Amino acid sequence: MRPGAFTVFRVLAAEAFRDSMRRRIVPAVVFVSLLSLLAVDSCTSCAGSTDIVQNGEALALNEVAGWSGMVIYTLLSLWTMLLAGLLGSDHLAETISDGSANLVLARPVRRSEFALARLAGSLGVSYAMGALILTGTAYLLHLRHGVSLGAAAWAGVACAAGALVVAALAMSLSLLLPRLATVLTVLALVGAVVILNSLRLFGADLEGLGYVVQELAPPLCTSVVVALGAWIAPVELSEDPLQLGLKLAAWVIASVGVLLAVFRRQELGS
Amino acid sequence: MFVLELAGASKRYDQRWALRGVDLALEPGSALGLLGPNGAGKTTALRLLLGFSQPSEGSVRLQGLAPADPASRIGVAYLPERLTLPSRMTVRSFLEHHAALAGLRGSERDEDVAAVLETTQLSGRAADRIGALSKGLTQRVGFAQAFLARPRLLLLDEPTSGLDPIGVRDARDWILAARSRGCAVLVSSHLLSEVERTCDQIAIIDEGRVAASGSLDELLREGESLEDAFVRLVRS
Repeated sequence: MRPGAFTVFRVLAAEAFRDSMRRRIVPAVVFVSLLSLLAVDSCTSCAGSTDIVQNGEALALNEVAGWSGMVIYTLLSLWTMLLAGLLGSDHLAETISDGSANLVLARPVRRSEFALARLAGSLGVSYAMGALILTGTAYLLHLRHGVSLGAAAWAGVACAAGALVVAALAMSLSLLLPRLATVLTVLALVGAVVILNSLRLFGADLEGLGYVVQELAPPLCTSVVVALGAWIAPVELSEDPLQLGLKLAAWVIASVGVLLAVFRRQELGS
Repeated sequence: MFVLELAGASKRYDQRWALRGVDLALEPGSALGLLGPNGAGKTTALRLLLGFSQPSEGSVRLQGLAPADPASRIGVAYLPERLTLPSRMTVRSFLEHHAALAGLRGSERDEDVAAVLETTQLSGRAADRIGALSKGLTQRVGFAQAFLARPRLLLLDEPTSGLDPIGVRDARDWILAARSRGCAVLVSSHLLSEVERTCDQIAIIDEGRVAASGSLDELLREGESLEDAFVRLVRS
């Protein structure tokens, strides 16, 4: 009897998560994450009556905290997405190159179940780390400067979706390219998207290829920043949150679809 | 219905044909030995059967279904030539993992895992990490996972690789025991004696083509050993 799809996925995802936790990079990631949290704690600790003077004009600390909090939260979100890409860049490909996928796929297991489980297992680590540092950052900023936790939650969702897109695309690439080339490509693509997103947020007029990429690429940076819009009120961002959400959702579906399509055509053990 | 069937199956990698127009079929409860020199195409045939590769030409059926259909692999067990097991898992947790994938649950799963551990004489090593096992013991773990859930079809690729003489004999006994329960077996090997002792049908593959196939009686001339027949058929 073939086990149910959910059972297969649960069994494989649990093993993929354990596999992911055993990676040598994970202790380093945990260390860096805790370090980030300590840095955030230090950066947000000057609450109270301190004022900052800019061009001779005194600014209330809470006004500055919204902006700096947004920058910190966005950087940590991008770090989470990048980590998802790095972990995804060999979490599936390695099982093919070492032959361990063969034993599993000789069972009545669909390739899609296996690929999705590996994706979930690799994302589990990124999500756990992201949840730790983003929740910690939002909580500290809320406690000390009163920023909205609801906005942080939406930005967390955007980060989770962005991480999924990056991980799924990295996994797909890893089936076509060697590991180093995959990692470099992921870094280059995420970097390019973040730069274009930032330019757009700063009001730059993009033209040509930059404009096309900015319009079509996943809004990795923009979606997080826009979700945190309440932190910098009364300033309003020109991007439409609903449109960004739909675009990100479309990228989630498309990236997972690409992964499944590429893995379905993959020759194993050749 | 055949438990497995290759009809005119060919596989080409770039410009090289790994298999060329291969016809093979196996009836339920039978045992077929795939013999051939290294690089003859034996492993490629197994990959096609399990859906790891798509044939460039011809058709492949496993239990009457296309190999891409996961239902075709229900009751099928596979032992690859290059066995890579998760080194950090214990023998028991690895077997429980595969038992779950084979559709076993709860006490049924525990009993089956205990049974295959007993069969492969690994009960005393069940709590050991796979990475700490010798090559021969790791191969036994491979056999143990293959015997989970009482398979109807065993696909074994160079199954005695890494085993000592006692292990080789044990493996032969396990295969014969599986056969006595009605399990069909496909053994790919270049060890003629193993195939001779466990299979009733033999196919000799050379350079991607079936050079000869049939029962031992059909393939051997009077007074001829399988080794002699193999050399004669491959060289011809």
